Amino acid sequence: MFDNKSMVLSTLLMAGVSVLGQAPRSSTPAEESAPGFDLSGFWSPAMHEDALERGGGSEIGDYAGFALNEAGRLWALSYDPSRVTLKHHQCDAYVAPYQMRATGNFRIWEERDPHDQRLVAIHVWAQVTEGHRVIWMDGRPHPPAWAPHTFRGFSTGKFVGNALVVNTTHMKQGWLRRNGTPESDQATLLEYFVRHGDHLTNATIITDPVFLTEPEVRSNDYFRQVVDHHAWLYACDDGEQILDRPPDKVPHYLFGQQPFATEFAKLYKLPLISGVGGAESIYPEFMAKLKTATDAEGLSRFKPVPGLPSETSRAVDPEPHDGQIHVFPIRNNVYMLVGDGANIVVQVGDQGALVVDTGTGALADKTIAAISKLSGKPVQFIANTGFRADHTGGNVKVRRSGMDPSLQGSFFSNQFADAGQGATIMSHQNTQNHMDALKMPAEGIPSDTYLEEHRRKFHNGDSIELFWEPNAVTDGDSIVHFRRADVIVTGDIFTTTQYPFIDLKNGGSVQGEIKALNDILNRTVYEHEEDGGTLVVPGHGYLSNEHEVLEYRDMVVIVRDRVQAMINSGATLDQVKGARLTADYDTRYGSSSGSWTTDMFVEAVYKSLQQSSAARLGK
Amino acid sequence: MLRLREMFLIIRAMRLSVCLRFLPSLCLASLTAYAQGRGGAPQPPATPQAAAPIDITGYWVSLVTEDWRYRMATPPKGDFLGVPLNQAGRDAANAWDPAKEEAAGEQCKAYGIGGIMRMPTRLHITWQDNSALKVETDAGTQTRILGFTPSQRPGGDWQGVSVASWDRQATVMGSGRGGPPPGGSLKVVTSKMKPGFLRKNGVPYSADAVVTEYFDRFDQPNGESLLMVITEVNDPTYLTTPFWTSTNFKKQNDAAGWNPTPCSAK
Repeated sequence: MFDNKSMVLSTLLMAGVSVLGQAPRSSTPAEESAPGFDLSGFWSPAMHEDALERGGGSEIGDYAGFALNEAGRLWALSYDPSRVTLKHHQCDAYVAPYQMRATGNFRIWEERDPHDQRLVAIHVWAQVTEGHRVIWMDGRPHPPAWAPHTFRGFSTGKFVGNALVVNTTHMKQGWLRRNGTPESDQATLLEYFVRHGDHLTNATIITDPVFLTEPEVRSNDYFRQVVDHHAWLYACDDGEQILDRPPDKVPHYLFGQQPFATEFAKLYKLPLISGVGGAESIYPEFMAKLKTATDAEGLSRFKPVPGLPSETSRAVDPEPHDGQIHVFPIRNNVYMLVGDGANIVVQVGDQGALVVDTGTGALADKTIAAISKLSGKPVQFIANTGFRADHTGGNVKVRRSGMDPSLQGSFFSNQFADAGQGATIMSHQNTQNHMDALKMPAEGIPSDTYLEEHRRKFHNGDSIELFWEPNAVTDGDSIVHFRRADVIVTGDIFTTTQYPFIDLKNGGSVQGEIKALNDILNRTVYEHEEDGGTLVVPGHGYLSNEHEVLEYRDMVVIVRDRVQAMINSGATLDQVKGARLTADYDTRYGSSSGSWTTDMFVEAVYKSLQQSSAARLGK
Repeated sequence: MLRLREMFLIIRAMRLSVCLRFLPSLCLASLTAYAQGRGGAPQPPATPQAAAPIDITGYWVSLVTEDWRYRMATPPKGDFLGVPLNQAGRDAANAWDPAKEEAAGEQCKAYGIGGIMRMPTRLHITWQDNSALKVETDAGTQTRILGFTPSQRPGGDWQGVSVASWDRQATVMGSGRGGPPPGGSLKVVTSKMKPGFLRKNGVPYSADAVVTEYFDRFDQPNGESLLMVITEVNDPTYLTTPFWTSTNFKKQNDAAGWNPTPCSAK
């Protein structure tokens, strides 16, 4: 028989279950998802699949099972593993999907709000490269297109059915496979985590418009460990390994000259097409092709297909194009303003704003309004990284916003008659010369110029240096370094959107461009495994760090070497253009229209090299 | 009257063991009713087909993006990298002789339960009846029957005897928000099979092996669907640890590409 106590408990239990079962749903996205499950614990990868790739590393030329397009295939074939001897590549981390596939153990834990116990994030720590992924579960949006990329990217998750579904964007360029198979910075990742007892499986679906023709689907298995693996650290410090190597040397192979291209096929007695089959190689029909493929079919894929038109960039346009100025905090008191052509940087403080570049000027009023929200004081200084109109178009209006009627002039009022009339515009002398020559509005032309290698200024508590790059994009480029904030503003020497604009007529050169990129790399320091640290604002594109500059530098050096090799063999400009020497980079940076096309870039490199060759010969 | 919050706190403080100690039969009946959904007349047990939390029927094509060399081609003898073979397993793999297999009519060894899902193949999955799924492959023209009810079949063939069940995420017990979670997996445990190969080059599994699989379906935002088959092979004869793989298939709209091909030992 039931006693009274039991009856009360029973009643309460049933009532409680019913009430709780009917609890209203929260409106937050995280709460709308399925109930979820616990991934916490120590996990070891089962290396039963692709053991060679994930262990010692695959052979060069083994890109089988990857839907690489021509650009991806050629990028991989150009790769020389010696590239990791370069100082800045030594601590390259793994991008998220490759990290999940790497050898080494994992630790997963939950981050919960201490007050309401909602799941805020799931953290994944990978032993190799100290890879720390944060999967945000609180419904926050992904960052804008101009936000920085990291190796692990920005991940948000949601429980759907019996899976944790994770979306990742904002990854850096990295590996699909460690033998040079590339994944671009435009790749996105969709993942499904499922757990069956102590067996966790992670399906990864990589979409990469730059290097893949269709999404790459793979999956990884892990088994749970009941004790801590320990050894979670993976310290990496870089250092030059080859002391007399010139700074503009990047190990790579010219198209068609990869000495190990056939190694994979020969080692395993497979047709040459095996490793370079692209999307075809993923499907069952490829088995039949393997029986009939000729060596010629394989060899034809080891270099660019002749006669094809250049591909164009498939990268996301990082410009908002919405007629608004978007403010993105960089670090300390430094901000990036996006929306009016070239990126604008604003440093604020007690001394009034210092602005680097002013955009096209089409949105100058909105730029000024945005600056006013950050700084209540008149703009004090403008620094121009170059003379082009997309960087200086807002000079006149932004300068005027520096007007300060309360200022009673200067002791040197005869020399500086405009004291208090507006901000002071700084640049290298050659930039002023170019703007004078173009008859740009006098009020927007720099008045405070420098001729020496660099100019320095202490402003708003930061040491600011302007470095002259004598012949990169033009002969008057400046790089601006906020030393305390550790932010470098590069102007068009570095962009994430296009091949470098090398303006030969105004003093630019490919060698100067490479030197300038190396000068940036000589000033940067990464925070952890090539992520973070010194932040780099490109002339156009998303906020970067040294890794993006590094990949860009590599690209310019590699294209230069290819053009130089053809010049050395006596090729004409038309022959060089027809050789598609940028075929592995065109889907990322290429353009067939607008003010700076792939053809124009190749021509600039060609002529630049011819000029330097002529100069060496004293012609 | 107790207020809602007081009831909540009391229930939170209770454990299921308390419930079972005081009122075992009532608790069990209540929880069963709760698991079956509140309200309404008792429903007859759903058939496995009707109870399916996911639909894996249709045509699916292999995505050979992993272990490519071991799956698209026949690897050389002795190449069993990644498979946790013991010495007996290594000895057996090193003794592989495809000509001998063919001569003995054993050319389907790599198409048995331990290897078939790794083959580059298309799957055609249908309900044979409301309590058994049928999985047909064009590679090796194999048929698997995944039965949800105890099988009377003796086994001893390439695909053995497969027992299927729906594997749902555990329901929250106690004070959390209840109700069966959506979604789930198909779990299949196979035994009583003829010995075969994990890989085409003679990497063995024995008749004593037990193969546990989970079929998970993922519907992507782009409209495509994936079927992931997670496989765990336990074989006390040839393996030192379970052999784990996860194999992916893409949904097809129709039978395009369906190309039945006989088994081949080479």
